[in-house]
Amino acid sequence: TVSFLFFFFFFLEEACEMYCRAANMFKMAKNWSAAGSAFCKAARLHMQMQNKHDCATSFIDAGNAYKKSDPNEAIKCLNAAVDIYTDMGRFTIAAKHHISIAEIYESELVDIEKAIAHYEQAADYYKGEESNSSANKCLLKVGAYCAQLEQYQKAIEIYEQVGATTMDNPLLKYSAKEYFFKASLCHFIVDELNAKIAVEKYEEMFPAFSDSRECKLLKKLLEAHEEQNSEAFTEAVKEFDSISRLDQWHTTLLLRIKKTIQGDEGDLK
Amino acid sequence: MSSDFESYEQDFGTTTAELTNKIGRIPKLSGEEKTQLILNVDKQLEEVRELMEQMDLEVREIPIQSRAMYNGRLKSYKQELEKLEKDFKRSRIAYSDEVRQELLGDDGGSSEGQRAHLLDNTERLERSSRRLEAGYQIAVETEQVGQEILSNLHGDREKIQKARERLRETDANLGKSSRILTGMLRRPVAEMSNCSQYGTYSIIRSSEDSTAYHHVIKGFCRLQSLEAGVPEACTTARCSPIQLSGTC
Repeated sequence: TVSFLFFFFFFLEEACEMYCRAANMFKMAKNWSAAGSAFCKAARLHMQMQNKHDCATSFIDAGNAYKKSDPNEAIKCLNAAVDIYTDMGRFTIAAKHHISIAEIYESELVDIEKAIAHYEQAADYYKGEESNSSANKCLLKVGAYCAQLEQYQKAIEIYEQVGATTMDNPLLKYSAKEYFFKASLCHFIVDELNAKIAVEKYEEMFPAFSDSRECKLLKKLLEAHEEQNSEAFTEAVKEFDSISRLDQWHTTLLLRIKKTIQGDEGDLK
Repeated sequence: MSSDFESYEQDFGTTTAELTNKIGRIPKLSGEEKTQLILNVDKQLEEVRELMEQMDLEVREIPIQSRAMYNGRLKSYKQELEKLEKDFKRSRIAYSDEVRQELLGDDGGSSEGQRAHLLDNTERLERSSRRLEAGYQIAVETEQVGQEILSNLHGDREKIQKARERLRETDANLGKSSRILTGMLRRPVAEMSNCSQYGTYSIIRSSEDSTAYHHVIKGFCRLQSLEAGVPEACTTARCSPIQLSGTC
């Protein structure tokens, strides 16, 4: 009986290997869906043989193959792999694959909510594993998308948190002003007074912030908003943009703030 | 009505001709004659302006249909008048130039030289400010690139530290497994089958190759678990090699 079971396992392994080889051939022929399904079958066989590691690896291969043809299938495979890894306690690699899933949601399926959820999960796992820089990277993405979706409170919290942690680190302190700037912009959209208080708070926390061009721009914008002067607003933004181009995210937020100025002026414009 | 307008036009024509003549003469004269001529020209310019106003009033009284032509003419007359006034002003400045030239000797075109000099300076200043702007832009870009590099470095630092930790763990586990296996070798022969002995021997020989390690130990441990009386050490030995192969 021993040898029978031994050979049974041996056949399963053979089958597994065959499936893997078939999948690789499919990849060479660029038949991604077939490659993906072959890898999935291999993964299930591994599961039967109780090889959790190999099972997860095969699921990842399947996910990568499906990425190029069927994003939904890819996400299913990647989710399965992530479950196995979290089961085994391998949170770092699970986080890495959460990021892959989130990227697929970002680009192919354009489901920002789910992307945010996965990025958040990845950030939590990274935090648990004390990989703070990777965690920060994910949190920043979460923050950016939250602000886009108008969940400003969450975005503010994230940016303030990241800013506070990075400003002490000698390597990262030069990026801290960027995060405070983003947080201030989010405050601004919610309420002008909040923004003013926030800017003062950040200046206190982080003296280098007051010398930065971003801080000066913020002060000019606050002034323009107080006087309801959308021309001065545009002037200040243009001046800043002439030195360093504003990216898509900043432009969107500044436009929203500008609309609140114009909105207050009524239908004259 | 239109005849009035035409008489005004004729007057305008004659006076402007006279004025052009006089204005041409002004720079060449000096002293008393010059001041006289200037006053004269001034008076005539006044007269011409009054004429223009009269013509304007006339045009307004004409019915709208035919007004267009007269409007055109009026505009050209106004332009002529402006040109005359400009020439007049310039001739007066030229007046001061003549005197300066007398005073400062044969400077010859010094005003022109000065003007060119000033223009040159302004050009140079503008060029310098443009270059400074460009330099500032590059500095800001450099700072941004630096920020990115620094955050990448920080991330890499963490990854390297993690990898080092795992490597140390792996090393410890490898040591433990080889100790356990040498312990197993010393057991009574009856408990072990032939292939397990062969397996252990090949393990100790191929201690560098961790994947082979993994597979051989896997097979070996499955055998052991299928037979009765799984020794405690064997289950531990099964876990740590799997941890070993799990280093990513």
